[in-house]
This record gives sequence, C-alpha cells and structure tokens, in this order.
Amino acid sequence: MQKINKNVVLALLSLTSLVFLLFQLYYYKFYLSHKNGAVFSKVRGSQSGQDSTRWHVVRKFLGLISSHNIPVYLIDPLILGLVDKDIEQIRSSPDGPSPECKYFCAPRDFTTFALLDKTWKHEVGLFRTAEKMGFQWLKIINKDPRLDGMDDLSGIEIPLHYIFKLASHAIHLVVFYERSGNYLWHGPLRLKQHMDRKFVPFRKLHFGRYPGAYEKPELLLVSIDDLKVQIPKNPSSFLEEMSHSRFLECRYREARAFFQLYPDDASLDAVEFRKKAKSLLHLAALTLNSLGVKFWLSSGTCLGWYRQCNVIPHSKDVDLGVFIRDYKADIIPAFQKAGLPLKHKFGKVEDSLELSFQGEDDVKLDIFFFYEEDDHIWNGGTQAKSGKKFKYLFPKFTLCWTEFVELKVHVPCETLQYVEANYGLDWKVPVKTWDWKSSPSNVQYNGVWPVDEWDDVIQIY
Amino acid sequence: MDEWKPNPAVKPHKKRSWYLAWKYKLMNQRALRKLCQTGAVLFLLVTVIVNIKLILDTRRAAYEEEEESAQDYDDEMMNVEVPRRPVSNKKVLDVEVYSSRSKVYVAVDGTTVLEDEAREQGRGIHVIVLNQATGHVMAKRVFDTYSPHEDEAMVLFLNMVARGRILIFTIKDEGSFHLKDTAKNVLKSLGSQVAPFLSWRDMWTFVGKKGGEVYGEKHAKSPALSTWGDPVLLKTEVHLTSVEDAECHWPDTELNRRRKRFCSKVEGYGSVCSCRDPTPIEFNPDPLKDNKVFDVPVAVIAGNRPNYLYRMLRSLLSAQGVNAQMITVFIDGYYEEPMDVVELFGLSGIQHTPISIKNARVSQHYKASLTATFNLFPDAKFAVVLEEDLDISVDFFSFLSQSIHLLEEDESLYCISAWNDQGYEHTAEDPSLLYRVETMPGLGWVLRKSLYKDELEPKWPTPEKLWDWDMWMRMPEQRKGRECIIPDVSRSYHFGIVGLNMNGYFHEAYFKKHKFNTVPNVQLKNVESLRKDAYETEIHRLLGEAEVLDHSKNPCEDSFVPDTEGRVYVMFIRMEQEADFTTWTQLAKCLHIWDLDVRGNHKGLWRLFRKKNHFLVVGVPASPYSSKKPSSVTPIYMEPPAKEEGAVA
Repeated sequence: MQKINKNVVLALLSLTSLVFLLFQLYYYKFYLSHKNGAVFSKVRGSQSGQDSTRWHVVRKFLGLISSHNIPVYLIDPLILGLVDKDIEQIRSSPDGPSPECKYFCAPRDFTTFALLDKTWKHEVGLFRTAEKMGFQWLKIINKDPRLDGMDDLSGIEIPLHYIFKLASHAIHLVVFYERSGNYLWHGPLRLKQHMDRKFVPFRKLHFGRYPGAYEKPELLLVSIDDLKVQIPKNPSSFLEEMSHSRFLECRYREARAFFQLYPDDASLDAVEFRKKAKSLLHLAALTLNSLGVKFWLSSGTCLGWYRQCNVIPHSKDVDLGVFIRDYKADIIPAFQKAGLPLKHKFGKVEDSLELSFQGEDDVKLDIFFFYEEDDHIWNGGTQAKSGKKFKYLFPKFTLCWTEFVELKVHVPCETLQYVEANYGLDWKVPVKTWDWKSSPSNVQYNGVWPVDEWDDVIQIY
Repeated sequence: MDEWKPNPAVKPHKKRSWYLAWKYKLMNQRALRKLCQTGAVLFLLVTVIVNIKLILDTRRAAYEEEEESAQDYDDEMMNVEVPRRPVSNKKVLDVEVYSSRSKVYVAVDGTTVLEDEAREQGRGIHVIVLNQATGHVMAKRVFDTYSPHEDEAMVLFLNMVARGRILIFTIKDEGSFHLKDTAKNVLKSLGSQVAPFLSWRDMWTFVGKKGGEVYGEKHAKSPALSTWGDPVLLKTEVHLTSVEDAECHWPDTELNRRRKRFCSKVEGYGSVCSCRDPTPIEFNPDPLKDNKVFDVPVAVIAGNRPNYLYRMLRSLLSAQGVNAQMITVFIDGYYEEPMDVVELFGLSGIQHTPISIKNARVSQHYKASLTATFNLFPDAKFAVVLEEDLDISVDFFSFLSQSIHLLEEDESLYCISAWNDQGYEHTAEDPSLLYRVETMPGLGWVLRKSLYKDELEPKWPTPEKLWDWDMWMRMPEQRKGRECIIPDVSRSYHFGIVGLNMNGYFHEAYFKKHKFNTVPNVQLKNVESLRKDAYETEIHRLLGEAEVLDHSKNPCEDSFVPDTEGRVYVMFIRMEQEADFTTWTQLAKCLHIWDLDVRGNHKGLWRLFRKKNHFLVVGVPASPYSSKKPSSVTPIYMEPPAKEEGAVA
C-alpha cells in the first residue's frame, strides 16, 4: 500500500515537474522573444557575455549615428561617474588603447546619450539603417513646449526621446532643445496609450521622469574602451547639474484662463514696466550667477510667473529669494558695479536680512534671505520707521528650473504651497493694494529691533 | 521513506501501472530503491520550487513594469486617439449631383461634399475630383464660366488632373456664356454628350472618370432666355478601383513616399503627380559662399491658398543658400491642403486657430507666427518673414547675406525688405543697387528680434482692433523715424490675385508689371554707403552730378527724360511740408507706379529709373535736398483732378 502510494506521489511529482518544465520553456521563450531578456539580464547568461553585449551594442549604435553624421554625446550618469574617476588619465591620452573594458561593460540596462535637436535633420533614413542593423526603436513625441505658451498654435509634436534596443541592452537617446534663455531642455518621457509599455524597463531610465534644464555643455572627444565618444568636458559638474535639473513648465493654460477673467493690462505704462522689470531681472541673474549665488523668484515675481507667466505690471518691483547659507559679502559691491546701487539694507546676516537695490526708473530689486528651520523656512521684514520686525513663514521647498521672460531661473518646486503661504488661497485674484506688513497670510509679528542696533539693521540710502 | 506518511485522503490504488510494475521489477533491492526514490522526490521537489519561484519572479517583474509605466510614464493628458472613420471596403460609391439656379450639391455615399446655396455666389461650373480608389475628395473648384477666361482656367485644371480620377461637374445659375469651344471639347473628350450643346441657363450634371467610363449625365434645357432650366438631380454609382491601380509606381525613395502621400490626397498640382517624369520636389540649389543668413529662421505666413503656397515654396526652395531646416510655415486655420503641401516639401508647418476676423485675424496670425519663430529659434537675431503669395528671387538669400550686417549694426534701420514699391518694369533697372526708404514695404522682409521682442510684441494690436499689421508697423509710433533697406529690383514678386485686400483688377494695375530679379548671385554695390551718414554723402554726391531736367516740359510725357542711358537726372516738385504729397501722387499716377499712398521716399526724395537713367525727384522746399535746386528752376506743381478732390473732401 505504502509503496503504491509513494509511487503515485512520485508520478504526480514527475507530472507537475514536467508541467513546470513546460512552463519554464514557455516563459523563457516568451521573454526571449518579446522582452529580449531585459528582465532576465540578471538571471541569464554569464556575466562576461553580458558585459561585452553592452559594449557591442554601444559600438553598433555609435557606428549607426556616425554613419548619419549625427553628433551625440554621452550623458549616462553611471558611465560618466566611472569616467570622472579617471578623467585626468582619459584627457591626457585620448587615443590610447585600453587594456580592459572598464566603462561600457559596467552592468546596467541602458546607455544614455544626448542629441542636440538642431544638429540633425530628422532623417527617416537613420531608423531604416537602425532596423537593418537589428535595432528595435521607439520614439517618444510630445507637444513642443516652446509653442505651449502661445495661443492656439498646433501641428507640431517633437521627438523627445528615442530608445534603440538590441539584444539585452538599450540605448536611450535624449533629445535636447535650445530654448529662449540660452539653455538646453529635455522633455519628460510619457508613454501614449498605444505604446508598448514593456519595450524596456522605463522606470530604470535616468532621464525622463521629469523634464530637465541644462546649460549648454562644453564637449570633449575621448576614447574610452576603444570607442570614440563625446562627453561633457567636466563630467562631475554635469552630474551635479543633473541632480538639480528638474524643470517646471509655466502653467500657460491656467495663465490664459486668468487673462480671460482679468484681461491683461496693455497700457503703455504696463509695457514699459515689464520691459524694465525684465531687463532688471536679466541683470540681477547675470550678477548673482557670476557670484555663484543660487536664487529664485519670490513674492510678487513668483506669483506673476505662477499665475500669469509674466511680470505683474502693477507690482513695481522684482523680488528674489536667496538662502542665507548662500549669502556672500560680495553681493552688494557686485550689484553696485552692475549699476544697481543699494537702496536699503534691513536686518543682519544672523537675522532677517533683506537687501534692496535701485534699478532704472523706480523699479526696485528686493533680495530676501531665507532661513531654514527644522520644519519650515522663513524670511524677515523690517519697518524702517518703527524698527518692528516681521517674519514670513513658508513650508519647506526645493528648487526647480523654469523659464521666465527669456531667462532660465529657479522657482520653488512646490510653487503652489509657496504662493499660498504668501498670498493665501485667493492668490488667483489680483490685488492692487498690497501691504507687505499685513496683507501676506504668512506674516508674523517678530518683535522690535533693539534701538542700539538700529544703525546697523536699518540702513537706508 | 519510512517517516513519509501517505495522504489518507488519497485512495490507495490497487492497480499498478505497467510502468511502475516494470520499474518495481527492476528495482528489486529495497535499499537502493528507497534511495533512488528519495533522490527522485527531492529532485522533483527542488525543480517544482525553483519553477514556482521563477514564475513568481517573472510575474512580479512584469507586474512591476506595468505598474511603473502606469505610474510615472503615462501620458497624463490621456488623449485617447479618436478612432478613425473605418475605411469601408465598399467597391461602389453612391453619388448624387444636383444642379439648379440657386443651389448645387454633391453627396458621396450620403456625405455632402459640396453644398452651395449662397446668393450671388458660386455661379458657374463646380468641379469635384474624387480619388478612384478611396472616394476621397481631392479637389474642389468652381469656374465662373459666365465670365470671360474662366473656361481657360478650367481647361488648365482639367488637364492637370491625373488619368483615372473621378470628375463630378454641376452648374449653378449659369455656366455657358463664356464656355468656349476649347473647353467644350475638353468636356466632350471626358465623355460628356451634352457639353458641346450647353447653352444659356441650362442645368447640367455629369460624373465620369478621366480617360475612362461615364457614370452618368443629366441635362435640363432652358426653355427661354429669361428662365432657367429645371433643376436636375443625377443619382449614379461609381465603381472603385484598387489602391494599386490609383497610384503611380515611382521608385521607393523617401521623396517619392512624400509625393505618393500628397498625390493620393489632393489634385490640381500638375506634373508633381505625373506617373512619368514627375516634377522634382527637391531642388538642391547651389549653396551660397559665406552665407550670413543660413541660420536665420524663415517664417512663411500662409492662409488657405494651397496652390499659392505650392508655387511659393517651390521658388523659395530653389533660391540659392536656402536652408530648409530653418523654414516654418504658419497656416492660419486648420486647413488640410496647405499642410499637405508643406509636408510634400518635407518642411515643418504649424497651424494656428484663427483669432478675430478680417485684418485683425491676419494681424493676430502674424503675431503668433513671429513669436513662435523666435521661440523655436531662440538663438536667432533675425527672422525672414514671407507670405504665401510671393515668388522668391533666386538671389534672395544672397541679397540678404550681403546686407544683413547693416541691420545688426545700424540702429537707424527698421528692416530690410526684398520689395521695392516703386520698382516696376519701367522704373527699376539695377539689381545691384539698394535704397534707404522711410516706408516699410513688407512682402519678404527681415525683422530684427530685439525690435520685435522689445517694441512690437508687447504692444501689438489686440484682436479687437481691425488694423492691418503692416499699416500699424508703418505708423510713426512704431517706426520712430527708422528706415528700411530695399533693392531697386525687387527680390520677391507678388503673384496673389485673390486675397483679403486683393482682386484681379488691383493686381493687374499695381503688381503685375513689377520688376523681379532673375539674375543669380548679383553682387550688391556699395552696401556700406547704405549706413545712415554714408547714405547722405552718397545722395549729395548723386545730386551733385545729376543733370537738372527741363522743368517747362510735362513730366508725365516720355520726352521729359532725354533718350539716353545710364545718366542721372533730377527734377524738383512742389512739396510744401513733410506731409504734402499732392504733386508726388499725381506724378506717381501718370508714371503708372504706386500712387495709393506714399512709398519709397527718403527725406522728400524718390529714386527710380526712367528709360534706363537714374531719375531723382526732390520735393521742394520740404526736402533737405532742396538746396540743390538751381534758383532758376521752379518746382513743378501738379493739381489733383477736381472731381477726385471733391470725393476726398
């Protein structure tokens, strides 16, 4: 009896085993043919075979694009990180043969390259050749943000990303566009409904979760692992830039809706003010950038960007925010040198610092310094005649890039919270009379400066 | 094996399978059998577990992927693609054609593709071209053959239609008065029995295949001169052919793929769609050496005149030094056919939702196009602005390349234009000569980005202002005394005869005889003398050497200018103050040049050619050049005709 039962179980197990074996074959076949082993890359094949696959795919890709005269450059953070460690050596021997495959064989799913849109002509021939070489490719297109700010233009969708897949490796080609403000932009990667979601593990891509803004990089032609590629001249600063590259598009649609409700002021005064505010902002950005001081649009200027994608014509000044840790004593002389004399200085570096510079024709530049606490960020205000101090509280925020009046500038990524903290829930309604001591919804009374400090903390020129 | 307990739920099998019996016989030794069995069970268990794990792993990986794409990478707009109208595989089309005095319509498979019952409009023969394989409308035209010359246009059009296309004709109101024999013969050759006998106020419908069968024809004779024929309704069936038969077999290249797409959609573009020796759609003109405008964006402003756009783009792409990548065509409205033309040439086109009406619509379209151009090419300092009804001279870019630095360096310049308002066949001569003028001619011009961004864009007329953008740009508030550079011989030719402010008569009178440069690579002379101060020196030199004409003669007469060549002559007219153009306007009128407003002046001086002599006109005393007038000469005064003065007053 026992023996029979045992044998029955044995038979059952064999049967299951056989079934599973079939399953295994089926899965293996399924993934091999449809996913080209992307998921299996960890499980399948010997490590060294994988390594050389990556190198071969990169080599094939570089061959493909050079045969079409398309200048791409390497922006893969993984490889650039490795390259950066040996950058001196690579720079000094641009042509030397490398003994081992050190960079392009490193384990990863993708190799990322960048392409400047204006340097190629969108020839379809590229993709034909790619197919002949065995690449599968995917193109991700979307609306052209350069036309997004405009009323009712359509017709252009631009390529934002390309993915070329061969065997178990894929090349991610990010298309960079030049935009007003002299910077490069790449778009987010969003799959349309009919697209193959399993083409590659999209989540592992290094670019595409958000749009990004970059300076135009200086390039260097190097030979690594016997492949000639262009890389950013300074990989470490590129990687640093990459970590803060998130870009926010202005909310053009909402801005249009706003102007439907509150038609734009097209008077000559408004035109003039906007022109002055724009040139003041350009000058301020130039000055602060050359000092390496990170700044963002604050208060009314930030509201103008967020609400109407433009300078608010009745705001009468330009407001910038700077973290107090980025404060530099050179700021004041630098602005003076740029033709913007100091108008007043309130507070001190330790507490409630605020600088105002006099721009052309009564347009004022205010720089507020922000102090970080554990759970909030604040900046200070001072009433000159009474020595009263005020404190404006904001929830914590990080900085994103955006484009404003043809300038690449920072704004708080969490703009809505920032604007709501400052202007309350009614920020969408334009207010012409504004009292900086009482109107903001995040203002707190913060005592009075001791009289003996007044000379220092209240300076008016 | 002993500790292994059988499942009591499983009923013991009494019958052994033949396999097990056989195995049992073989494995007689108990210990060995036990070992083997344990090994086998263990092995099987491990395989099962590994397999389960594998399945779970792959499942999870697949699931994660699905999830991640759902989370981060979904297009948030969720724009569900509108399902295309299913292409019916029907082989037969039902066609209905109606012809009457006040209404015509054509319906294909129940869909109305033409309906015209507007009063005082759409008189004549309506023609519709259908694709013989898909039944799509490829062209729609109306030829007012009650009026002269329209039948010639119809013949031209019908000759351009490819063989095999389905043609539908119907008459609204009257279509025979100026339908000449040539046209009637063409209709007859298409298979019409009635066409040769079509007469006054007859109603007529006809459906046929070009170079093939006739699907139907109906006709109603007008009983008397004062009445129309009875309305006729033709219902017929058209048999569709296969797609392959409807297409030409061009070699499979990228260009031909574009051509194929274009030719399967639209008709009426002539040899571009001929199966044999189609006209090229790529031109590869010689590149320009040291081309300074290679990176300057070109904005082509277009409406719904696709045939014009086709002609315009052909000439533009044939101009030396053209850079197709910098060209963007801005189409005012969501018209398909202009976009088809743009795609045929492999250019990029942008459609613009029309805002406002009439002139304001054009003006808003200009603004959107200019803003978009500078957004798309943020590096550009300039933009070339063209319109869809211009021919572009072969040396257009060469002309700009040689002169663009002036616009960059000379603050007193407003634009560079390819158009000379006064440059007619009989008044322009020298393609290498440039002028400075106080007016803004437009019609192919270069705009400085700083001018647009800092001055024009912020105060561009809003949609409710029914202003012409060009008139607005000419206003002193905008122009601020700055001038434009123009060539003596225009580098563009305005061929449009239908348009917002245009009609056949107007075109004939003011545009047809305009001189247009066809010489390639013209070396411009003295470009540097176009700078503000240098130009004054140049003018003074010119006036110094100019011979004063005989002011006792009539300046309108040909004999006013001696029969010489290459000389410089000057005449003086009366011009009381800066805005007094009474005499000038009369002179312009009798010289048959632009007289509708003042164009082409520079400080009270006009420069043109008469009988191949440079001919200068100075307004005295308003012009600063009045000092050059010899005291003996009395400026000529020409009175405007009395009746017109009355009309103006």
